[in-house]
Formats: sequence, C-alpha cells, structure tokens
Amino acid sequence: MNDAIREQLSAFVDGELPENEAELLLRRMSQDAELRRDVAEYLAIGRLIRSEPGLAGADRLHERIAAAIDEKPAGAGDNAGAMQASRAIRPLAGIAVAATVALVAIFALQQTTGIDELASETPVPLVSDNTAGPVVPSIDAQEERQRQYFRNHAESSSQLGANGMISRVVSLRFSEDVLEDPEADETDELENSTEAPAQP
Amino acid sequence: MRTTQTQFATGLMIAISTVFFSAPVQAERKPLDWLNHMGAAVQSTSYEGTVIRMQDGTAEALKVVHTVKDGVILERVVAQEGNGLEIIRKGNEVHCILPDRKSVLVEEWDDQSTLFSTLPTSDIRIGSEYDVAIVRKERVAGRETILLAIRPHDGFRYGHRIWLDMETSFPLQTQLVSDGTAIEQVKFADITLNHEIHASALEPSYSTENFTWLRQPSGHNGSHTETSWNSDQLPSGFGAVATHEETMAGSDELVTHILFSDGLANVSVFIAANSHKLAAGPARVGGSNSFSVEHGDFEITAIGEVPAITVERIATTMRQP
Repeated sequence: MNDAIREQLSAFVDGELPENEAELLLRRMSQDAELRRDVAEYLAIGRLIRSEPGLAGADRLHERIAAAIDEKPAGAGDNAGAMQASRAIRPLAGIAVAATVALVAIFALQQTTGIDELASETPVPLVSDNTAGPVVPSIDAQEERQRQYFRNHAESSSQLGANGMISRVVSLRFSEDVLEDPEADETDELENSTEAPAQP
Repeated sequence: MRTTQTQFATGLMIAISTVFFSAPVQAERKPLDWLNHMGAAVQSTSYEGTVIRMQDGTAEALKVVHTVKDGVILERVVAQEGNGLEIIRKGNEVHCILPDRKSVLVEEWDDQSTLFSTLPTSDIRIGSEYDVAIVRKERVAGRETILLAIRPHDGFRYGHRIWLDMETSFPLQTQLVSDGTAIEQVKFADITLNHEIHASALEPSYSTENFTWLRQPSGHNGSHTETSWNSDQLPSGFGAVATHEETMAGSDELVTHILFSDGLANVSVFIAANSHKLAAGPARVGGSNSFSVEHGDFEITAIGEVPAITVERIATTMRQP
C-alpha cells in the first residue's frame, strides 16, 4: 500500500476524506481483495500503535468451521444419496455453528478485539485429537458461558430491534470456536449406521 | 493535504446543499421524520449492491440482494472473501451454504434482522438521552444522501451517524461512534434501489442437492419471569424491558437474564450461581463490552453495545433486596 492510499485510508477512518475520494476508495476496495487485506493490515498496525488489545482468530472462522465439518465421523458428510433422499437435517448442539456462519457472512465479521484475552493463551483446539471417539469440546466452561451470554444478548437485542446488528456480530465472535456436541456425533453415527458393519 | 481536501469538501458540500435544500419536501423534514422514513424504507426497499464493512481493523466486501415479497424477507448474501460462502434467507429460514465443504447450515431466525433492520428509530428518547441532528448532505454510492447524527448526552452510550438516501430514505452508510470516532462502519460501495429483483438473483449459485444439511436450534431458550434483582445506579434512561430465565447449553442451570434498554442501546445482565471460576473484569469485542463480577453466591455479567464504563456500572451495582 502506498503512502497516498495510506493517507486516504487514515482520512477515511477519521471521517475526513472528501466524499468523492471516499467513493473511489470504497469502489476499489469492493473490487480488490488485496487492497482490503492491505487495509486490514494497515488498520491493525494503527491499533497496535494505540496499544489496543490484540486480535486473534476471528478471520480463521470460516476455515475452522470447515475443519469442524471435515472432522465429522467418516460417512457423515459423504452419504450424500441417503441425505438427499430424506433431506435429513441433523441437529448440531453446543455452539451456534449455523448462526456463526450465517452472521459472519451477513455482517462480515472477521476480526474483533479484546475478548480473546478471556481465553487461555494457548490456542484452543477446535476438536479433540481422539479420532476413535466422538469429538469432545475442549474449551473452558467459563469461556463457553461467556459465548452463550453474548449470543443470548444478541438474540434479545435483535428482537427489541435496536443495535441488533452489532449485537449479533458480537455473538459471532464468541461462536468462533466451533464445537460439536458428543450427542450430535452419536446421532450422526446412528444416521449413517446403515452403511456400518454390524457390531459383534 | 487532508485539511485542503476537507476544506474543499466542505465548500463543495455547502454549494451542493444550497441546491439540495431547494427541494421543499426534504428541506421540511425534521430529523425524526427522516428516521421514520428510514424505518419504512428498510422494511419495503428492494436493493442489490456491494457492502463494505469496517470494524477494528478489518474491511470486507459482501454482495447483497434483498427484497420483500408478500411480507416475506428474501435475501441473498455472498461473502467476497473466503471460500464462496453464501447465505440464502427466505422468511425466518436461513441457509448458509459452504460450497467447498458441500454443506448447508440451517437456522431459524425469529426476528426481523437484516442488514439494516436494527438501526435506531424515532422511538429513541430524543431530548433526554440523545439528540438527533441533520448534519449535512453528501454523496454515498453515487447517490445524494443526508447525514443524520444521533448524539448521546453522556458517556454511557455510543452515538450513530446515518447517511440516508435523499430519494428513498434508505440508509446507505452507518457508523457507530465513540468520542467522535467511528468504531464500526457499514457502507454501500454501490447499490441499485427498488428495481425488480429476479428470482434467480435470490437463488444460490450452487446446487445443494448432494450437500449435507445441518440444523442449529436457537440458543435463546427461556421463559419470561419476574426478578427482584435491580440496580439503583443505572445510567439515566436505562430500564428493564424484559426478564427471562434461561437454560445454558450443556447444563440444567437456570440463569436470570435481564435486558435493560435506554430506547437505543441495550445491556443484558446475566445472573448465575457463583461457580468461583468467573473470569471477572472487563472484555471488549468491537463496540461491545462486557463486565463480570462476583457478588456473594452469584456471578453477574453485563454485556452491551455501550462503553465499558456502562457495563461496569451496571454489573457492579446489581443487587437483590
């Protein structure tokens, strides 16, 4: 990013960029993913200079959700024919996977600040390494409680009709660590048991 | 340079404003009238465009198509970053399509949340906690807009800036403002308003026939209840508007959830049995803050889209007679 764009961006964030230049900048951003990344980096630097809390992980949300889906027991996502025939919709208990994905797209949450400091400094694995058994959430109970609080607040606020957008975005951030409930996985296994060998 | 640009923009704005205000209808509109018109426009306007959202150092583009047919919200959102994620909404049912994973995640939304459905309305407490002013006229996404500023009277809440399309009153840009600085911004880079939306524009780009479908129930399950918990030091204008008893996922424990509102900003207070493992203190996500504190046999957490001082004040002053 050159100095001219950096200066433009600084003015834009401060609400001081002339409207014609703001228009051009936004149009460029809407069409240029690389510029959007540059902008994100630039703003992150600014945040560091201002000693604001660090960022972590939210931009990996989509990949982590995808990874969670990939980690389903064998056959859970491959039995397309059977799923299509019944159009079975399986429950995902625990954290709001669907809400997370939906809202992250709609409200474009990628990165937020501060709340990660509530979590352990050690990255929390998305799923357990125990591939022999159901996927077990490995996350601090209080952290999970905080996520639920944010999510419930988001839904309540949305129903009131004020600030719901922002509130939902917040809930998204807390839904970043996608977990799967053991019972849901057991259900998965049952649903796919038609192709599983009979137990002795 | 920026000063020069700003001066130029200001001069240009004055010149443009002189012309614009010759339009009698808009000139006669009061700030609250604009908010009322905005509320109606958000409900009824069909639109298609590109939205840029900036918050805490990120910028992301979304392609959005939205219309309402026979009272049913129809919406399609495609994230421009990532792996082709698409959201298809028909009424309260939302399908999140992850084409690279051949999966569709389904969720029921029991509210009317859309991109702009939760902006302030004229119901806010104008004159007590906030005031609303028309600031100036600007161009956004190639259209003439009027900038409204909703300014809080104290430091317990955030302000808003809203750029409304002059012709339709549709919000083309919004900002959440703290101490004069935008901490979150949503803006259309381009938009087409009130043109016919073809059904094909609302359909997913991918065939989901062979995809795996997953459903996530609402996380907000609870019943209305009464509570004696309250605070005698709530920031002015805040009052309880709803109280629920809610069960947390993975637990039988009941948590009391009190929702406070000043008519624009909302703060939730959650009161649970003390686990003695509470991560006490403040936390922040974008424009939202939370504060947790132990009080005897209880843990109290306040969360809301308000400054940190507000959630701390509320959380630390909740009492049960």
